Amino acid sequence: MMNLAVRNLSKSYHQHPVLNLTQASFGKHSIEGLIGPNGAGKSTLMGLLTRRIPPTEGSIIFEVEDKHHDLIPLSSHQVAQIGLVKTNQRIQGFESLTIRDSLRLACTPPTQETLKSVFSKEQLSEAVEAEIDDYLSRFTFNEPDGYARSAGEKKLLDILRCLILKPKMLLMDEPTAGLPEDVTQQVMQEITRQTKANDMRIVIVEHDLELIWSFCEYVHFLVDGEMLFEGKPEDVKANRVVAEKYLGL
Amino acid sequence: MAYLIFSITLMLVYIGLAQLLHIQFGMLGIPNFGIVGFWGLGMYSVGVLNVQWDFSFIPALILTLLLVALVANGLGRLILKLEGQAMLCATLAFSAIVALLVITEKWLTEGVVGLGTIKYPFDAGAMTEPLYFLILLLIVVGIQLFINKLHVSRLGTLIFSIRDNEELAASLGKDTVKIKLELFTLTCALMGLLGALSAPLNQFLTPNMLVPSVTFAVWIALILGGKEHSMGAVLGVFITFGLFDLLIESYLPVAPEYAVMVPNFKLFLYGAVLVAVLMYRPRGVLGHSAAGARQELP
Amino acid sequence: MWLIRDSVFIGILQASPLILAAMGFTLIFYLNGFINFAYGESITYGAYFAAMFNVMFGFGFYLSIVPAALLAGALSVATYFLFFQPALKRGVRSTELIILSIGVSFMLRYGLVLFVGAENIYVDEPPIAYFSFLGVGATNLQLVALVLVLVVVFNLYWVVYRTGFGEVVRGLANNKELAMVSGINPHKVSVSVWFLGGVAGGLSGVFSGVFALANPLMGWNLILITVMVSIVAGVGSVKGALVVSIIAGMLTAAVTLVSKPLYAEVILLSSFIGVLWYRGGRLR
Repeated sequence: MMNLAVRNLSKSYHQHPVLNLTQASFGKHSIEGLIGPNGAGKSTLMGLLTRRIPPTEGSIIFEVEDKHHDLIPLSSHQVAQIGLVKTNQRIQGFESLTIRDSLRLACTPPTQETLKSVFSKEQLSEAVEAEIDDYLSRFTFNEPDGYARSAGEKKLLDILRCLILKPKMLLMDEPTAGLPEDVTQQVMQEITRQTKANDMRIVIVEHDLELIWSFCEYVHFLVDGEMLFEGKPEDVKANRVVAEKYLGL
Repeated sequence: MAYLIFSITLMLVYIGLAQLLHIQFGMLGIPNFGIVGFWGLGMYSVGVLNVQWDFSFIPALILTLLLVALVANGLGRLILKLEGQAMLCATLAFSAIVALLVITEKWLTEGVVGLGTIKYPFDAGAMTEPLYFLILLLIVVGIQLFINKLHVSRLGTLIFSIRDNEELAASLGKDTVKIKLELFTLTCALMGLLGALSAPLNQFLTPNMLVPSVTFAVWIALILGGKEHSMGAVLGVFITFGLFDLLIESYLPVAPEYAVMVPNFKLFLYGAVLVAVLMYRPRGVLGHSAAGARQELP
Repeated sequence: MWLIRDSVFIGILQASPLILAAMGFTLIFYLNGFINFAYGESITYGAYFAAMFNVMFGFGFYLSIVPAALLAGALSVATYFLFFQPALKRGVRSTELIILSIGVSFMLRYGLVLFVGAENIYVDEPPIAYFSFLGVGATNLQLVALVLVLVVVFNLYWVVYRTGFGEVVRGLANNKELAMVSGINPHKVSVSVWFLGGVAGGLSGVFSGVFALANPLMGWNLILITVMVSIVAGVGSVKGALVVSIIAGMLTAAVTLVSKPLYAEVILLSSFIGVLWYRGGRLR
């Protein structure tokens, strides 16, 4: 049972409201979609959920494995440690880390990142190195031991960095933007596999509706900072409001 | 000979400060412009404890380390979340405050009159100064070993990730605030330690030792040597301090009427070198990378 | 009561250099977004230029202010073209730009020392008369300085807020492309801003010793407080810089009256760190 529940969550910039969400919940289905026109507040919502953006007011509760986490008092690294992680819409990365180091960074436990550990010989466990090797053998990078150079490689690395953290719930903000078609398919297959194997939950923000319809079991429709409709993909597709406001039919 | 030993011991102090700045700015991205504040706090703390309150050197040194660590930790809590420009101004303001308080608090520091005499922690006759030089050499070598280890450690990877994109590192579950605060506290405390060890070297302390030029000399050395390279600090101080303070000021025959201008000429040239490096070779002489462990950047 | 009255009076008299420097600095900071420590040298050079015209060329005392201010403006524009514009074009980050500005500041300051020496230069000033009213006193020079500063501040204020120049600068600072599309010439605006900023800095230097002396460190001594005032006032607000520098002047005067002047500086610098912390480090 997993539930990321939001109540009366709002965000304003300079008294200008961007999001005003009475009620929403994510995580009942393994892959859910979040769609809506540009400026609806999708990215803002994702940023609020992972505590990268402070909300104006409201509550965010993350229930996972019978534990009940209030996310409002937490900082973004604590949210990630609980298992709620987000991939980025805008291309982001660590310019001085190689692809392999970047993945290693993601799965290094805090105990190996202390001042004391600087002098210890302890390395990452072989299991972890094997997992990194596994990812790098299945997803192709030009130079796996060099730097991510193209936008596509950086975007893919961003997603892999999050997957290797083994999150309980992964929010993906426009994962396909910038990815080549074949890599997109590969990523989607990988996350579908992991939702089954690791009981991971996914929420995808996408403009590529074909992808939403074919992978999501449940879809949320956000307009002007409010959740106007939600339901199974076929219900959402058939809904008149969605058709008018977004699909342009 | 005595003057030469004094000069190279002082050079070691500058190397140590530049090495610590390399960790703060080159690795972690914290623009600490308050170096002279931490260094001066350490120096005066040992001076006051030693001269005014009759502490012997080692207890004074330990108390000083604690004091500077405490102050650095407090300041770090206030400023480490700020953007770079704000951190730079805040640390600069901090060092100005330290220098002002040294002048105003005469009951502690004797103000502009000066505080003295601080003796060496041991007396080995003619060998005192050379032994002291060796102690500082050990400390500087120790810091260098730590830096080399840090560059290739897991903590080092985390530090670089914080410099590159702190928000992204935090989103991967890294407590970036804690790491920054820990390292800032440690490195500033070590700057204080170098200050404390400079006290017997200078023997007599006056407020005009706490001028911002100390901070800038360290910065110029690091930028010139290469802020991101593990050996940048050492090379930079060898070029700046070694060339000017050791060679030119001590050994170059300069007519007495021009001799007073040499320090000013040095500071002018420091400025020019800093500008030239930033405009034409922003990564400094040594450029990027730690001891060949990392590849060339795109 | 006497404390408030004297603080206000002395504060305003002594704040004149700070007011000018903060207003000029704010303009440049707003346009280019980095803290320009070399601005301190506009202040120093302003004082030296005035001394040069007065002592070397025998210009009348008040007359020497005009060429000094213009030269300080030209110097500011020159630093922009030689150092900051190339660096800005290359996309150098703001922290590195500040370090660059400190390098430029060193070059200018110690270049000056190499040329004219490190000693104070005293200016031939008109005979001093002492005025007193309502129980507080001021010299004729202080009063003249106050009037001149008021005139300059009024003009600067007028240029920024009444001629549309402030709007143009804001447009360019916020969105260069958009500003260029709407017919703003960024080149011309940059030159104007750096010139005006330099002129204000130069005048600040002239008024710093209330015409009495010039010293190579005077700019450096004022720049940290100037930066502070400008940031606390809210970047881009010339109005705010005016208000905050007057408050800082009065605070300094009040602390000086009851205690040591250096404590005033300690209090200002500490509250600066506090304000930065409170704002979460957002400068712009």
